Amino acid sequence: MIRVFDQGIEGAGLFMIEFGDIVPYFSVYTATLFTFAIIFTLLATFSIPEKQMDIIFGGDAYYAKEIKPQDLRFQRFVAIACGTATLGAVVTGDIFNFTLFAAMIGITNIGIVASSRSHHVLNAAYQYGIVAMIACVPLFGGAAMILATTGTLSIWSLAGIGAAPILAKILLLLGVMGEGMAPFYIGKAEITRAQGAPFILMVHVSSLLLFLRVVEIILVI
Amino acid sequence: MISIYQSGLIAAFICIIIAFISLYQETDDLHRLILTDLTEIMALLLIALIATDLAEALILPGLVVMIAELMALAEIYLVKEGIQRKKNSSALDIEVMQTAPPILAGILVLYGIILSGFSGGAVAGLGIIFYSVCKGSDELFAQIETASGYAWVAWIAAFFIFLLLPGQWFFAVMIAGGAILIKVMAKFSLIGTMGGDPGV
Amino acid sequence: MIRRLSHILSDFDKLSQIYAVLVIIVIIGGILTIPSLEYQADRLYPKTIHPESPLDPYDRGGTPFEKTEVLAEYPENSPYLGYVTAYLTPFSLALATLTHHVGTTIVAHPGGIIDEILYNTRGLDTVVETSILFVAFGVASFLFLRRDEE
Repeated sequence: MIRVFDQGIEGAGLFMIEFGDIVPYFSVYTATLFTFAIIFTLLATFSIPEKQMDIIFGGDAYYAKEIKPQDLRFQRFVAIACGTATLGAVVTGDIFNFTLFAAMIGITNIGIVASSRSHHVLNAAYQYGIVAMIACVPLFGGAAMILATTGTLSIWSLAGIGAAPILAKILLLLGVMGEGMAPFYIGKAEITRAQGAPFILMVHVSSLLLFLRVVEIILVI
Repeated sequence: MISIYQSGLIAAFICIIIAFISLYQETDDLHRLILTDLTEIMALLLIALIATDLAEALILPGLVVMIAELMALAEIYLVKEGIQRKKNSSALDIEVMQTAPPILAGILVLYGIILSGFSGGAVAGLGIIFYSVCKGSDELFAQIETASGYAWVAWIAAFFIFLLLPGQWFFAVMIAGGAILIKVMAKFSLIGTMGGDPGV
Repeated sequence: MIRRLSHILSDFDKLSQIYAVLVIIVIIGGILTIPSLEYQADRLYPKTIHPESPLDPYDRGGTPFEKTEVLAEYPENSPYLGYVTAYLTPFSLALATLTHHVGTTIVAHPGGIIDEILYNTRGLDTVVETSILFVAFGVASFLFLRRDEE
């Protein structure tokens, strides 16, 4: 059972939480990711979003963009949900549970972007949302194949025995790519020009941590 | 010699390839949304190939996740395309729509409560959809939203009872069963009201 | 070449197409590896079917408020494992004794093997699942209400 902490990438085991069949664990690696996720979730919870200035070309007048309070509340809610999902995804000890958390990160990312009122940004959110949805196929499919060929989903049992098929690992990676693709295309959507900078940050942080975690899972199982 | 599982995998893979080719060729946004629904079934296919009780228990979350994402995306699509609901044009305005709703909706909700659990929620939700389609749903929306929030909390509570006080398993199952009833019912009826029927 | 590629990648209308191509490539490669994918017969929560039982696909034995055998991953984490599986609501018990086929609807009632897995042993999955539903619904209703007020 302790085999998982013998894997090179993990580092020493710190502790674990037992939720029935799903046993999240904190090794040095996952605990580091967890700490990062906590810091950024707290940032998103307590920070006041920046107000952007539009400068009128040719004059020295400028005006501050207005942020509707309900937009702000909504973005904060989704950003916190995103942070919570990231917390879960980086420590969970079960592959299907991980894929569910990844799907949750995907949908919260869509939500953060979708609160924008610009048509251009909404279109980007929609296109990304389509990808996040179809990414469920490789994501759940990979987890299902691991369960069918090894008989278990627990990373504890899978660690180090190398029983998981390579195809399932690639599918998992592909699925996470789909769910965590947001940062590249959100830059493209010029949402960085839209309001709510700390919440947009959550999109980047969650995808990054998700990637780091899936790499760990693929190396361990 | 290939086993049943392997032949199932081959079939599933062929279906996945077909689904994704269709997704590749489709350029219309709305059709893409519909095709994603097709591809999601392929994920369920792969889970179903496990063929244990666990598979059945994994299909439920998978299905719910997909429905949830579909709902959010459909709403983004409407906003993106700037589609407004039509004012004052009732699709179905016949006499029976005025009298039947309370009775039929009542029966459906009652039966749903007896069934309880996931399918019960669906049946009861159908009853509420029917009622709101016929009668209009001004204040219904906010109430359902609140109810589903409480159901969510109840579910989390049930989870912690299982975890911390496993001896109270019966209590927890009842809470969870009741919560899923309310929750699915709320979701279904909201999908109904959000469809943008002019009665709102 | 690179410029052409980056041009395609930068257009997010093509995003789902690119992703579809990636998946198709992986799956075609995957078909070749199918012979190496063996079904692992020794597994958790095995499914048994007794066509003669009124609770047919979900009959796992046991009487209400007693234990039945359930093969979980970590039984030591769920001390009351098996109780939920054995439990039948009075209503479903009545259905099962009165008719032969309607009893299969027990999956819709509290209790039974599916509830055991969903709420007890894999409870965290269900918590995440409902949270996803909650968030997705929050997004949809936020957009819906905003669209309404405009």
